[in-house]
Amino acid sequence: MSSIVRDKKRAHAQQIKDRFISVFIGIFALVWLFPIVWTLWSSLRPYSEIRAGGVFSPPQELGLFNYTNAIDRMDLPRYFANTALITIPAVFLILLFGSLIAFVVTRYSFKFNVAMLLLFTAGNLLPAQLVFIPVFKMYLAVGDLVGDRRFLYDSPLGVILIHVAFQMGFATFVLSSYMKTIPKEISESAMIDGASVFTHFFKVMLPLLRPALASLAVLMTTWIYNDFFWALVLMATDNKRPITSALGRLQGEFVTDYNLLAAGAMIAAVPTLLVFFILRKQFVSGLTLGSTKG
Amino acid sequence: MLNKIAGHEVDRRLLLKGAAAGGLGIAGATMLAGCAPSAAGPLSFGARTVDESPTKQLQGLVAAYTAKTGNEVAYNATESNAFQNNLSQYLQGTPDDCFQWMAGFRMQFFADQGLLVDLSDVWNEIGDQYNESYKIASTGSDGKQYFVPQSWYPWGLHFRKSMMAEIGLTPESINNWDDFMAALGELKGQGLIGLASADKGGWEAMGTFDILNARLNGYQFHVDLLAGREKWTDDRVKEVFRHWEMLLPYMNTNVLDLEWDGAMQLLLQKQAGFFFNGSWFGANFLEQSQEDYDDLWIVPWPEMNPDHGRDTIDAPIDGFCVAKNGANNAGGKDLAKFAGDMEGVQAMLDTGIPMTSANKGQDTSTYDAFQLQQLAVMNEAKYITQFLDRDTRPDFAGPIIGPAFQSWFKDPSSTNSILESLQSQWDALPALS
Amino acid sequence: MSQLKTAVTGTQKTRRRRFFSARDKVTLGFFIGVPTFLHIALVWFPAIATIMLSFTYWTGIRLEDIQWAGLANYENIFFNSPIFWDALRVNTIWLLWFFVIATPLGVLLAYQIDRQIRGHQFYQSAYYLPVVLSLAVTGIIWNFLLRPDGFVNGLLGLPIAEAISFFGDDRYNIWVIMIMASWRHIGYIMLLYLAGLKAVDASLREAASIDGATEWQTFLKVILGAMRPVNIIILVITIIESLRAFDMVYIIYGSSGGLPILGVLVYNNIAGEGASMKGAAYAVILFLLSIVPIIAYLNQQFKEDNN
Repeated sequence: MSSIVRDKKRAHAQQIKDRFISVFIGIFALVWLFPIVWTLWSSLRPYSEIRAGGVFSPPQELGLFNYTNAIDRMDLPRYFANTALITIPAVFLILLFGSLIAFVVTRYSFKFNVAMLLLFTAGNLLPAQLVFIPVFKMYLAVGDLVGDRRFLYDSPLGVILIHVAFQMGFATFVLSSYMKTIPKEISESAMIDGASVFTHFFKVMLPLLRPALASLAVLMTTWIYNDFFWALVLMATDNKRPITSALGRLQGEFVTDYNLLAAGAMIAAVPTLLVFFILRKQFVSGLTLGSTKG
Repeated sequence: MLNKIAGHEVDRRLLLKGAAAGGLGIAGATMLAGCAPSAAGPLSFGARTVDESPTKQLQGLVAAYTAKTGNEVAYNATESNAFQNNLSQYLQGTPDDCFQWMAGFRMQFFADQGLLVDLSDVWNEIGDQYNESYKIASTGSDGKQYFVPQSWYPWGLHFRKSMMAEIGLTPESINNWDDFMAALGELKGQGLIGLASADKGGWEAMGTFDILNARLNGYQFHVDLLAGREKWTDDRVKEVFRHWEMLLPYMNTNVLDLEWDGAMQLLLQKQAGFFFNGSWFGANFLEQSQEDYDDLWIVPWPEMNPDHGRDTIDAPIDGFCVAKNGANNAGGKDLAKFAGDMEGVQAMLDTGIPMTSANKGQDTSTYDAFQLQQLAVMNEAKYITQFLDRDTRPDFAGPIIGPAFQSWFKDPSSTNSILESLQSQWDALPALS
Repeated sequence: MSQLKTAVTGTQKTRRRRFFSARDKVTLGFFIGVPTFLHIALVWFPAIATIMLSFTYWTGIRLEDIQWAGLANYENIFFNSPIFWDALRVNTIWLLWFFVIATPLGVLLAYQIDRQIRGHQFYQSAYYLPVVLSLAVTGIIWNFLLRPDGFVNGLLGLPIAEAISFFGDDRYNIWVIMIMASWRHIGYIMLLYLAGLKAVDASLREAASIDGATEWQTFLKVILGAMRPVNIIILVITIIESLRAFDMVYIIYGSSGGLPILGVLVYNNIAGEGASMKGAAYAVILFLLSIVPIIAYLNQQFKEDNN
């Protein structure tokens, strides 16, 4: 058999395999989405019907009443504002600091470069539970120093700072991976032209980082938005917490009405879902992990 | 009632006769009206619940306080589990001035750490509205008061009168363990759950342990066990588990998957005959419907050992404390005093949510039938305990006993090894300073 | 937005003399100093503090109360706390599950999607969707399916009293949690791997197919090889995520011991009324277990950077 025919046969076999794979993955994708769909479905039904007839009882009432109820009782504007207050500055600082470190470490050859990189990326991997008691004590101590106990503890600033401290590592890693793919010549010509470090970073490198920054921004926003632990332990007042940490409260509050809780959970998930659908591309496109090995 | 665990041997007994002796109707509040000027300035109040009914009550209290004194009160509510888990940080950090808490060792522990404000002078003013027993419950290990009581509820066997009537059972006439087992058998025969049980939260089962231990082995042993003066490996404790195991066939099979509200649902939906729990859930029944609430009844857990009869009961007291690190200590004390005083109690009662107040001034003629029955159940007991996780060290109750009971449910035959482990973990606890 | 994928990474390390002006030095100082200070102050310093505290007795409240305990907390954990071994067992199962099932599935999924099989855009979104949800929301969603009066028990026709105890029964609960965790983890790994795959030279694959390799062979021999750095990342994340798990279990079980895992043990013992430095010891144990992958990872990064 000539090699061309053999290749064609192989290609054809591969095509059939591919179709199977596609179908298989497709079916699983639907299974994957089912839990979310079910929760959504439940949130449209009154719990009293479920209690009376079970989950498969034919729906007599379908509507958004659980949502309006939840919105009324959840004081959403406040919780979403809390979330924005924490998430937006945190993401901004993470990207800024991450790119600063990545910049210094990849564009200049200092002896401590590797050590720094290791420091940050290892720090990112530490478990949060390891640090929170000293952080709590430190926040109170700083608060006492400044005269306002709520300066860091029970304040968005405290939660922002801890997020920044932890997530900087990942941002540094991704951005330094990305920066390694930017030709050194660009930096070198900037330096030959006498650009200061400041200009080098802000005018030359930063614009080139846009795809990576966009991806990172999307990822970080999702992660910080979804954080549950830090706001739980570093904030004392429930109505200052971001919405995901407030979900625990919902569980307690709507204890006898699960469908209402489902509506609440869906509401809490909406922003990240929105970000996801609108900015789908950015999730992957700007991320570079590892460098190209020929 | 509360033996101090750090070695002070204070053996106090709590006699609650006469809680109803009076419905004294003396509005002590009027006597206080002209007294010391109330502390000025805004303050904050921390509620330990986000549930509908208690929230209405507390907001009623706070509103009445503001109306009377003109002080603005910020109302901060946190879900109860989150509140409890975070209490240590909360009190060290930026607590509300006055907050809801519980009596017992749980309160004394934080008082010992210097995180609570001494409320003895408040007690000097309103103390006559409370029985001696409440004062004892509010006292810290240094003899000063740190707590103002709000309400209490007994742990007892709840059931629906209509169900029992239909089946032909009379729970009031259950006099001993055998009667009880017979009733459970009858319920099971009818395809129902005999005793709805839950332990997903890790604490619910402690109530059952408490009552079994108190019934079989008596108040003193129970108290001594929790204080570490008796051993968990004692045969008497094994007896408790032996009896508990006899109840298992009459429970729902998914005890570890249900929290208290899940077990309550079983009673609400008439799938279970008995529900051993604290009576607070009456408010949830009322939220369902007046009918459901009227159908609810309570009797004490039956006698199991004639030596002890039905002399002990868990009746946790909830109330208020003032946090040292709050911004406005004077304001916090003021609110606590108002809450303990009949005026505050009345404000809470006026919201229409049923509450069994600790205050003598609550006119028991306003009690509905269910509340009167709760009172009767309480009065029958000679000794009152606060519930396991309020009567022993917090670093033992939550992290150690809770999971131990849960693992017992998973494997009831492992009683001996669980008890040995409990004892050795108790022995390994560091001394409390 | 051109991504400059140069195959040339051989840097000329000719010693160029850098003349940093004073201003430059200050700028560099800030650039490095501020983030590093924050990172050390809020991550490393507290980590070391917790490690030291694990050798003390303390309720976490008053500094004066700190007492030296030596190894007492650790002895307590290893010899006196059966729940520790239960938790270790659960975390180990978690790790193995992720390692053997969830991560490989994520990798395979990424590969297929990268090959742009039919429907790949929909699939990418569908599988990634759970990652976008907070773990707390995930817990609530699955709680919904598996409650005594939820979907699965309804399907099986069981009333509340006889419902299968998915979260309480030890025979089921760990597998239920594994499925829930994988639901999220697979999409996460898929995404990371996709990001890495993009950087792989397309010419590699073409060369392989010209040589007559099947897709499977291409994947095994060419892609996996080229993706070594990303593989390490994936492995590290797999290990870390399984050891550090907390949110999802906490939202379902709270702080009770229904399904013990190390993360919850730390929290139970270090926060709340029963706080003791036993929690710090748990945290240190958690840290030590995670450190192996951390070191492996750092090692690999170090080698790569020295190339």
